[in-house]
Amino acid sequence: MAANYWDSTQAKYWTFTKSDLAAQRSELAKLNSQLHTTYPLPDRRHMSIFIQQALNKLSRRMTLRQQALATAQIYIKRFYLHVEMRKTNPYLIMATAVYLACKMEESPHHIRIMLGEAARQWPELGVTESSKIGECEFALISTLSSRLILHHPYRALSELQSSFGLSSEEGQLAHAIINDSFNTDLPLLYPPHVIAITAVFLAVVLRPAGTLQAHSSAGSASAAGMMGIGSPGLAPSIPMLSSAAAQNALSGLAGLKQAGPKLTKLVDWLAESQVDMEAVVDATQELVSLYEAWESYSERNCKESITKFMTGFSK
Amino acid sequence: MPASNPPSASARNAPVLNLQTQQPASAGPARTQNPPKRTAQATFEESAETPALVKMNATPYAPQRHINDHYEIVGFISSGTYGRVYKAISKQRHTFAARQTPVAKRSDGTEITAFAIKKFKPDKEGELQYTGISQSAIREMALCTELSHPALIHLVEIILESKCIFMVFEYAEHDLLQIIHHHSLLPRTPIPAVTLRSTMFQLLSGLLYLHRNWVIHRDLKPANIMVTSGGAIKIGDLGLARLFRQPMHALFSGDKVVVTIWYRAPELLLGSRHYTPAIDLWAVGCIFAELLSLRPIFKGEEAKQDSKKAVPFQRNQMGKIAEILGLPRKSDWPLLQSMPEYQSLSTVALHNPSVNRPITLEKWYKNIIGNNNYQPPKAPAPDETALDLLKNLLEYDPLKRLTAEQALQHPYFSPEKGDGKPPGWNCFNTGLENKYPPRKVSTEAHEISTGSLPGTKRTGVQDDGLLRPVQKKMRD
Ligand SMILES: Nc1ncnc2c1ncn2[C@@H]1O[C@H](COP(=O)(O)OP(=O)(O)OP(=O)(O)O)[C@@H](O)[C@H]1O
Ligand SMILES: [Mg+2]
Repeated sequence: MAANYWDSTQAKYWTFTKSDLAAQRSELAKLNSQLHTTYPLPDRRHMSIFIQQALNKLSRRMTLRQQALATAQIYIKRFYLHVEMRKTNPYLIMATAVYLACKMEESPHHIRIMLGEAARQWPELGVTESSKIGECEFALISTLSSRLILHHPYRALSELQSSFGLSSEEGQLAHAIINDSFNTDLPLLYPPHVIAITAVFLAVVLRPAGTLQAHSSAGSASAAGMMGIGSPGLAPSIPMLSSAAAQNALSGLAGLKQAGPKLTKLVDWLAESQVDMEAVVDATQELVSLYEAWESYSERNCKESITKFMTGFSK
Repeated sequence: MPASNPPSASARNAPVLNLQTQQPASAGPARTQNPPKRTAQATFEESAETPALVKMNATPYAPQRHINDHYEIVGFISSGTYGRVYKAISKQRHTFAARQTPVAKRSDGTEITAFAIKKFKPDKEGELQYTGISQSAIREMALCTELSHPALIHLVEIILESKCIFMVFEYAEHDLLQIIHHHSLLPRTPIPAVTLRSTMFQLLSGLLYLHRNWVIHRDLKPANIMVTSGGAIKIGDLGLARLFRQPMHALFSGDKVVVTIWYRAPELLLGSRHYTPAIDLWAVGCIFAELLSLRPIFKGEEAKQDSKKAVPFQRNQMGKIAEILGLPRKSDWPLLQSMPEYQSLSTVALHNPSVNRPITLEKWYKNIIGNNNYQPPKAPAPDETALDLLKNLLEYDPLKRLTAEQALQHPYFSPEKGDGKPPGWNCFNTGLENKYPPRKVSTEAHEISTGSLPGTKRTGVQDDGLLRPVQKKMRD
């Protein structure tokens, strides 16, 4: 738990190697090969982005806390590691995950309010009885084996932020990168502090060098994203970094060409600490590749493919 | 087990379409396959139904494990605020499902053979629909799953089935309330000093673990502290416990009243919004005193909350504390004046003038020890350092009150005190004969079917002379 991440159920039961994850998923796919053929889905990261953005929209309606949103996303991720998405109603899973996450993060909403808001936000939900959320909650908790307490990178970030004297802009950028990381497998692969360090690293490399605008192929979008995080608690609906900027950061990690004092301090600290550097490098790569993938993201594609399997299935 | 168990139809046909198609890699036992037709206990049948083959949107929930496949109810223990507790043993392992299950084991590898199953009923009695799990049940499930320590009650598993939640714990033969009760029966005998010291040591060790993991228990009292037949103390009932890592404001915004009134810390009585783990140490102080004197030290009456109004000032309870400790003073408690109910404090003396001439804890302790009729050398009185520990736990200022860590460092626990040994993990290791009666387990059917009224509190223990006040807990 809080005091010791290493003793947590997250560390013990919900952190995997990449090959564990791949095996688990191919197993699931094998059991559902028919569905997979009939209902192809976009890139998993695109589906995650779709879910994140859908949750963000709900969050704006209900002013949900960032922490609860993050928790809900991890619940969904864990759930779909064990349950074939094509057999579920993802909108119901999302509403239920948020409902449960809000209780866990001590900001509960009544089940009927939850249903009402979710139904208004997502007409596709197609559920009119709150008991469906209640039933789905049983499925969710049971699939997660009641391991509901989560460790997010935000806490580590705020510690790093003060020990490295990050500017509030850098802090916000790192925060937003953490939000983006929920669209990757990182939360299932690495401890939260590794993700936080990666985010700080990216933020520090990118900010002072002004690379954000210069290298950004979708420059205006990223810059706008930067501005967008003025309102904490809401992840911007666009990626924090263009893939070019992120790639640049990656080379920065290798060469440390434009190492400013902050970066030097960070690198020195990393060298001395027990932090798994390989993990940080890999996490950086995952993020770079996320930003690449983001460029081809289409909300419509995701939505339509969900609608297809949902209608197909209920026939 | 009730004799009148009606044989039931197979509780559920495994649905064809099932959200739970895959077995989580981390969950141990294999999924039950087509549970055989069987007679299940009436208790656990109340809302069993056959989930229909439902379409997508209906999320047909089918449990992976069925409570009746694995546990055999032997009787009813208690009806608490949120559910009922039953005693159970492992099911004879002749069903397919049961054989699939590894036996329940403790962390030291020994097998668990008796269980206490806490069944959370749906919010409304007889509710046929899923209504959403209460926040306190969610907390208890999540915390018990996450935490593990020798002085915490061990959670074996959680089964979600038939709209009910079954939390399966290791069974504990006794609890502190029952032990206190036993000693208070005539001829009244004091709890042996060795038992007392070991109990406090184990209790504080468990509490230190909780606090190190950022958990405040918030409902420590004798009834929630279990004792196994081997003398191990197990903190139970994490239904009100919560993580305090969150921004402090969140701690107050949720449930307004915590801790059963007799164990409620003065800062809570004075309306503090920023309460801390120190509230648990006040409760430990109260429990310590109760173990010494065999009755609650501050046995106040709870001022009832009138309908929607704000939480009332607990004048009577504050008075009970002040009869012994005197009223809190600014000089001892610098932040006293900033307590929301500071103004109300002056009204305590008007209703209860004896607070102006407090007994003092020294005198209280001396009386208790004097009356307790210890029989040295075989049954000596507690070490003289006990009073000092008690004083520092029942410290008004939460900032000065001992933390769990400091309390464990107290001379009372040092190896050369007491019997010249460090406190042990078996509180019954006294060299004396002290046989406590086993927990009362009712097997009468009617007791199982009649639920308690909402908000009332009944324990399996006979309440004569030890009647608890109706709890005032505002859970979510
Ligand atoms: N592991 C156990 N072994 C034996 N008895 C137990 C166990 N856990 C609980 N009990 C009994 O059941 C009673 C109620 O349990 P618990 O306190 O967990 O439930 P609750 O509904 O939160 O109760 P309350 O409102 O009384 O605090 C306990 O006081 C104790 O007598
Ligand atoms: Mg209790």
